[in-house]
Amino acid sequence: MSRRQQIANALTAVALAGGIAWLCTAVLGNLGRETDWAKAWQYRESLWIGWWLTLKISLGALLGSIVFGLLFLLGQRSPLPVLRRTCRLFLEFVRDTPLLVHLLFGYFVIFAPLLSRPLADAGFEDKILIGGLLLSLFGGAYLGEILRGGVESIPRAQWESARAVGFSPVQVYRHVIFPQALRRVLPAIAGLFVSLIKDSSLLSVIGVSEYFYNTKNFIARSYAGLEGYVPLALGYLILTLPVAWLSHWLEKRFRHET
Amino acid sequence: MKLEVDRVSKHFGATAALDGLSLHLGEARVLVLIGPSGGGKSTLLRVLGGLEVPDAGSVQVNDHRLSADPAFLQAYRRRNGFLFQQFNLFPHLDARRNITLPLEKVHGHDPTAARELADQALGRFGLLEHAAKLPAQLSGGQQQRAGIARAFAFSPEILFLDEPTSALDPEMTAEVLELIQELAEAGQDIILSTHEMGFAKAVADQVAFVAAGKIEECQPPGRLFASPDSPACQRFLSRVMRY
Ligand SMILES: Nc1ncnc2c1ncn2[C@@H]1O[C@H](COP(=O)(O)OP(=O)(O)OP(=O)(O)O)[C@@H](O)[C@H]1O
Ligand SMILES: [Mg+2]
Repeated sequence: MSRRQQIANALTAVALAGGIAWLCTAVLGNLGRETDWAKAWQYRESLWIGWWLTLKISLGALLGSIVFGLLFLLGQRSPLPVLRRTCRLFLEFVRDTPLLVHLLFGYFVIFAPLLSRPLADAGFEDKILIGGLLLSLFGGAYLGEILRGGVESIPRAQWESARAVGFSPVQVYRHVIFPQALRRVLPAIAGLFVSLIKDSSLLSVIGVSEYFYNTKNFIARSYAGLEGYVPLALGYLILTLPVAWLSHWLEKRFRHET
Repeated sequence: MKLEVDRVSKHFGATAALDGLSLHLGEARVLVLIGPSGGGKSTLLRVLGGLEVPDAGSVQVNDHRLSADPAFLQAYRRRNGFLFQQFNLFPHLDARRNITLPLEKVHGHDPTAARELADQALGRFGLLEHAAKLPAQLSGGQQQRAGIARAFAFSPEILFLDEPTSALDPEMTAEVLELIQELAEAGQDIILSTHEMGFAKAVADQVAFVAAGKIEECQPPGRLFASPDSPACQRFLSRVMRY
């Protein structure tokens, strides 16, 4: 950094710190008196149960979206035109409409009438399962598109060389195409997974008592402010940050290879 | 090796890459394809190597009659080795793994045996010290040599090389050509295409001149380079030999 840049950097730091400090005093001055962290402690059990459910739903949705993503990838690369077209149409629809609509429509109109009874009879929580399924489909639609982009970005020479050494079509994907494609789309996949974790909060609209739902209830009942929203943000950060870190770490590991 | 290629055609859209091409060779160790760019050398190599299925005609290589059946072609490709102009190696695997992976997954060797075979091949081509490097860390010539080492480690019936040096600078070209010549002298059956006429002359048993999707002429190099029969080949040679 040049001398002038250093000065500019220092001045900017002071200005930013000042701005943030001012915002905090203003906000905390308004709330400060009523903030009572003991409230959050009272509701710890419900918050913990909600957070734990969010973790399980997120993990389930990650796995589910991988399954659907692979299916959608296969569908889009199918030799049958009708399968390709249908697949594309479906993915386009899913990606161009809000997840909120999928959840409300998918749950109340499509799946609940069909599945709620049998699932409940079998001892499952239908909202969680159907909500997780819808979230997986949504994530799978994006993942399918990401994977297709990755697979199609691998140059022709690699497909040819893989065929030339005698790999079967499955081996070509398994040993040559996927490892390279995944390295390329890793940041996009990590971004998608982080989004999925955050979007699991939308399951609250169909009444799944996950972290957001339970925190919202706690805030409404105890008139909490800061003591409700801070744990809410932290709870999601604990889930998303490891995904982000893992992806940065893998990216760094793979960087030198290409 | 023995080749019976009979009226083979291959179209890409409106272009006829191979246009009723025939070639009959009773016995040859090293067949070199020369000819103008776009003449069909690569396409012919790909058909002979089982990477491309012709639209019409029949092909027999040694005692394999090539069919369009994917399972047959896969098995056929496993018997042979193929090297393209460049980007043969898998960039996410180091040089040794590039060789052991197909040895294990395609040829069914166990990891120890695969490693031994790979190190033999790498050692033979002077690449053992580079075994742990990724392709991006190798020079172009080393990459091509590693590609040949990989093909060679499978003990190929025939080694197909498509312009193996045309992406290399002269020094690396020499190092790769020397290696190919060494393999040829050791008795490996090779079919290759090249723009290096001097090399073709030195290494070939038979030289085929491919132009406009046909074989215009196929002769031992002594004859073909000294007194080509076809006018097209005469013109081609006089043009490329001028400099
Ligand atoms: N995959 C393909 N799609 C479309 N056209 C192709 C394809 N492969 C080859 N061709 C065409 O077929 C003709 C023969 O090509 P080919 O690559 O066999 O020639 P070549 O003799 O190997 O040329 P070069 O010396 O430049 O490598 C060319 O006109 C080329 O454009
Ligand atoms: Mg070519």
